[in-house]
Amino acid sequence: MYPKPALLAGALALAGLTTLAQANPEIDALRAEIAQMKQHYEARLKELETRLKAAEGQTAATPAATVTDRLGAVSAGSAFNPQISVILDGVYYRDNKKGEGPELYEHLDGINHSHGHGHGHGIERGFNLRPTELVFSTTVDPWFDANLMLTVDSHGGVELEQAYFDTRSLPAGLKLRGGKFFSGIGYLNEKHPHQWDFVDQNLPYRTLLGEHGLMDSGLQLTWRPRTGSLYTLLGVEALQGNEQVFATAGVATPTARADGLPLAGTAAGELAGKKAGPRLWTSFAKFAPDLGDNHALQLGAWGGWANQHQEVHDHTAGTACGLPGGSCVHALQGKSRLWGLDAVYKFDAPGAYGAGDFTLNAEYLREVKDLSLAFHEIGTLVGQPRKFTQDGFYVQGVYGFAPRWQVGLRYDVTGLTNKVEGGSGVLREWNDSDRWSLALTHHFSEYARLRLQASRANLTVDGDRERLNEIWLQYQHSLGSHGAHKF
Amino acid sequence: MARLLIWLTLSFVTPLAWALQVVATTASMGMLARAVGGPAVSVMVLAPPDRDPHQLQARPSMMRALRDADLVVAVGAELEVGWLPAALAGAGNGRVLPGRLGYFEAAAQVPLLDPGVADRARGDVHPMGNPHVHLDPVRMADIARALAERLARLNPTHAADYRARAEALAAAVASRLPGWQALAAGSAGAVLYHKDGIYLLDRLGRPLLGTIEPVPGVPPTAQHLAGLIEQLRGRRGVVLYHPYQPAQGPQRVAEALGWKAIAVPMEPPVTASVEDYFRLIDQWVAALAQAK
Repeated sequence: MYPKPALLAGALALAGLTTLAQANPEIDALRAEIAQMKQHYEARLKELETRLKAAEGQTAATPAATVTDRLGAVSAGSAFNPQISVILDGVYYRDNKKGEGPELYEHLDGINHSHGHGHGHGIERGFNLRPTELVFSTTVDPWFDANLMLTVDSHGGVELEQAYFDTRSLPAGLKLRGGKFFSGIGYLNEKHPHQWDFVDQNLPYRTLLGEHGLMDSGLQLTWRPRTGSLYTLLGVEALQGNEQVFATAGVATPTARADGLPLAGTAAGELAGKKAGPRLWTSFAKFAPDLGDNHALQLGAWGGWANQHQEVHDHTAGTACGLPGGSCVHALQGKSRLWGLDAVYKFDAPGAYGAGDFTLNAEYLREVKDLSLAFHEIGTLVGQPRKFTQDGFYVQGVYGFAPRWQVGLRYDVTGLTNKVEGGSGVLREWNDSDRWSLALTHHFSEYARLRLQASRANLTVDGDRERLNEIWLQYQHSLGSHGAHKF
Repeated sequence: MARLLIWLTLSFVTPLAWALQVVATTASMGMLARAVGGPAVSVMVLAPPDRDPHQLQARPSMMRALRDADLVVAVGAELEVGWLPAALAGAGNGRVLPGRLGYFEAAAQVPLLDPGVADRARGDVHPMGNPHVHLDPVRMADIARALAERLARLNPTHAADYRARAEALAAAVASRLPGWQALAAGSAGAVLYHKDGIYLLDRLGRPLLGTIEPVPGVPPTAQHLAGLIEQLRGRRGVVLYHPYQPAQGPQRVAEALGWKAIAVPMEPPVTASVEDYFRLIDQWVAALAQAK
């Protein structure tokens, strides 16, 4: 194979010779021969060129198709990550008690007086970052969904609020939930703080169920029977009964007084050991007739039973039991029961961005702790019955008065009945605590809102009436996957 | 109590004789289910057509309907993300969960416009694409064919009927399309309130001139409207919005530009037939044709 330029040069040299010998027949013949040669070479050249190209194409294509070395492994990477959402929640708080307001709520007179595990989240005057919610949810496999919710407070404290699975495939409208979760009782109990229409927890929930509502470990079975156009939800829960205000077990018999004085010599009795769980059972029912596209109504009733509850009362303050002004350490145990009624009415207006929507809901709760003295510094009192009863309700309405603007009004009260009974009648009775709250909420979008709330409360603390005025300015941002518009 | 017992007995016995229970999220999806399913299905629609399907709440009546559904026909692409997953979670019916045969999503059957980035600075966006596919009759015909296949898998005895009905719907769309295209031919395009009419604009080859919402899901601001007016001054067009969207913004823009602001429904009636759906498209096309 000759390189093309060399052949061309040869051809040109021959062509040059022709100019030297003109008008010669032999030269004419030669010229014709050269022209023939030129044609032949050009044809041959073309053929060679195409063959060359074909050969080049082949050598270029073959290695690419056979030898490809890729690093790494074939993997879904992060594609199976659960859906994640984060809720940021911050408040600016002021009250007329030099910041004592949140403290007062901890000490409201009532049957769970200072036994609540409510810790008020340390709200102080000024700026506060409330616990940030982290929610992970995903489908585990064809049979289970799972959900995890953590809260992180501004000091870095992490709390596991929910971690549960739900079945996906049970027949006949059945569903089983297991793990730690918000109980299905009532209407607001299952709602997370970012789904509330007001900044803070209502008084009956706060005093009878605890700051977070009823949240415990166990199992929940729900059933939606076929009841025509009526929606029916029936549920039963078996819960461990861990550190609830009305269901706590495993409390140690007192061996010392909080004020440091020795226990009286007459002390007697002891608390029983922890029973095996589940120690707390609940059941609930919800009914919702179909009222068309604009109206929705849901009515519910629920009950809860704890088969073991223990609590220690130690209000000692430096004066020994039996002396005038002194108080005695004692411990109680027994059972407790609760029940409640809930009603929700919603009007869904066709207006844009929630304008014209209206929600009215109300709940009544009642708690009875049927206990007896298991330990007392005056030992002869051991065995005496003590029955604690308290109830409360709230009513709240929220109205979308303009696109993205809501105004809400709430009245809540706890302790309408608020008493302890012994074997011979009422031993002690407390006054109630009530409150009015007005909240104005602006939704910037689905994911961000700003809320201004003013509350005026009339609280009973240690027998005294406390008038508390509070102002909250709250922002809530929801990051990540789109939240659900739950009923 | 006696009534409750009768209810219970009836509800346990009757499903045996009943048609396939289909729950459609929107009226147009209900129209498709009826058009393809014919007498072999019974259809219930969850979202009333007079309000924004993004904004609904998961109501107990939805859970009730989903509890016994054999098939859910959803628009999908996260249009119903606020309420359908919550309603499904409350319904306790494993057969209609996403991934099962009983869950059909229209947006999964056709190519979507506007796939975007997942950035909420751009409003309430749907990263996988714009979900409002139902205003494109050609896509709806494709969705009908896919739905016929799904119904055939759920109820093979009627497979041929489902397919024939889907083809009939596709043929009806094909025969109407040239008329719509001719009507809209001279239209200068439209400003939409929300970016929901784009599938029809795209099908008819008419431009989207702007949106009244600055970003999806956020109400218009005065500044945005002024900018929109400035940008479109001297051009021709029409402003289209839905009766449930506030009329002030569209009217302000239309007035300033000397255009018409026309309210057109987003959805056909709850009990819509194919003809009702075509009338909805007629309405949109007639409104678009005003931009000349």
